[in-house]
Amino acid sequence: MQDVMEQLLTISVGMEIIYSFVIILCSLMVYYGTKELYELTNHKGIKYFRLSFLFFAIAYFFRSFIKFLVYFFGVNAVREIPQFIAPLTLFVFIYASSMAVFYLFYSMVYRKWENKSYLFHIFAVIIAIIILLSDDASWLYLGINFILFLLLAVGICIMHRNKKENKKNRFFIVYILLFAFWLLNVVDILIPTIIGTYQLTVYLISLGIFMLILFKVLKRAG
Amino acid sequence: MPKRERLEIIKDILEVVKNNRAIKMTPLLRKSNLSSQRFVEYFKELSDKGFITESVDKHGKKVYFLSEKGFRYLEKYKTIMGFINELEL
Repeated sequence: MQDVMEQLLTISVGMEIIYSFVIILCSLMVYYGTKELYELTNHKGIKYFRLSFLFFAIAYFFRSFIKFLVYFFGVNAVREIPQFIAPLTLFVFIYASSMAVFYLFYSMVYRKWENKSYLFHIFAVIIAIIILLSDDASWLYLGINFILFLLLAVGICIMHRNKKENKKNRFFIVYILLFAFWLLNVVDILIPTIIGTYQLTVYLISLGIFMLILFKVLKRAG
Repeated sequence: MPKRERLEIIKDILEVVKNNRAIKMTPLLRKSNLSSQRFVEYFKELSDKGFITESVDKHGKKVYFLSEKGFRYLEKYKTIMGFINELEL
């Protein structure tokens, strides 16, 4: 029985590594694939879009590192990991993940709020500190992430509605899905039991979203 | 006529330079359809970024050419606009 459990755990860690590797690879390909377009134009939308995927790559790296630590120390959640590694890794993970969604959001709204990106750094640090200081408060994590998702989704919908008719397309739906599934990935780290048996589905859909964005970027940017 | 966006203005200026091979400042200003103040801003940006290069003609007057980077911008312009529109940036 113990052998079976160990095998399952090894498969689970293997799955995590492959999942994170593919998403980090997709994110870095988006970042480097758009380098020339940004260098030629200095377009702020492209700048924040690229930064968003750089932060996604950093966040997914720390996410897989947390999963590895949980496996290595044989504990159930990140907060049970001994020593200083847990809070430090969790802080970087929450900060980078918040910045990733903020920058993606800002790449669409920067015309309305110029030079306000420093506010997102402040919000990201505040969110990371709140989560770090709150001890095992599942409702708080869920609340913060749900409010974050709601604000971003509503913001994107309003921006989309205000766009000129000839510049509208339906890609904003992909961004909303990306936010939703990214937040599920964050919640999965904070409350490991929440996704449960749907973990594989969440992973597959998340992979699909990242690959769709990468496909669009490669198709357009070459 | 709808207001041109920054990237479109840059494309228009570079196209004028490209079509004239070597152009002096005054005709470039006239053909760019910009106020002189805005033209100076754009011209400085294009020079600083290395999209256009300066030279002196046989009469000792300054003329401007499109650099390799400028050609690259024009080549990529449709791709850039397609990317921005498709990804809603």
